[in-house]
Amino acid sequence: MTVPVQHLFMLAGVLFAIGACGFFLRRNVIIVLMCIELMLNAANLTFLAASRLHETADGPDPTGPVFALFVILVAAVEAAVGLALVIALYRRKQTASLAQVRELRG
Amino acid sequence: MVNILFYICAVAAIASALGVVSARSPINSVLSLLGTFFSLAVIYLLAGFQFMAAIQILVYGGAIMVLFLFVIMLLNLGNPEQVAQADPLFKPGRATGVALAVSGAALLLGLLAAHALPADHLSPVPAGSGRAMIETLADAIFGKYVLPFEVASVMLLAAAVGVLVLAKRERPGLLDTEAEDNR
Repeated sequence: MTVPVQHLFMLAGVLFAIGACGFFLRRNVIIVLMCIELMLNAANLTFLAASRLHETADGPDPTGPVFALFVILVAAVEAAVGLALVIALYRRKQTASLAQVRELRG
Repeated sequence: MVNILFYICAVAAIASALGVVSARSPINSVLSLLGTFFSLAVIYLLAGFQFMAAIQILVYGGAIMVLFLFVIMLLNLGNPEQVAQADPLFKPGRATGVALAVSGAALLLGLLAAHALPADHLSPVPAGSGRAMIETLADAIFGKYVLPFEVASVMLLAAAVGVLVLAKRERPGLLDTEAEDNR
């Protein structure tokens, strides 16, 4: 693949913006969590693109993929804890809509 | 040819990301997200990160998506009544303004940063570079980054315990004296 490296960054930026939009606009907890996954994926793409940008004769810089692996790990943990919170919320309120959870709203 | 495949995958990723945000039913949202993950996996593969593409499909497509689908089906969130009472996607208000401002700023920053980069084209990935890439990756993880690696394993353990505590049914049991005290 010989595309300009900027196109990878642009794709990541667009994906992040879509994810952020959904994060603020949607009221379904599960879809909000999925938007977070989308943003983390965009971050991963940025790490990998930066790794290709800083490549040497030996190949791409390993720091980018290593950080992307840690991001995937954090995403997995975030999904597990977030979905456990969804289940706890559903058990209390029988809803998955953030519009009906207003205890902590100032 | 490979470049065309990249642009096809990029368009597919953006289209399915829009599907995630705009789908009314969470099930459709999950399936769109799966499309984004697979398109990104193909892009990783094209960019020469074979191992990351495999991890992307295994962890995201295999584990995280199944977790999401499992919770949606467990709570029956995909049934028509639940979907019908979902809020409209775009309702004018402060949240919409904040969302558009933040995502617009992110988009603008991303595009500006991309524009400021040197106009480099990626060099083609040499055939058979996957093995060398995995070797460098393993050297980095188990050498320079071994402490974050260990910390990450502790984080996984903490998450496993935390999820158990969160999702546990609140019912006084043999070991559950605190729940009885709260009653």
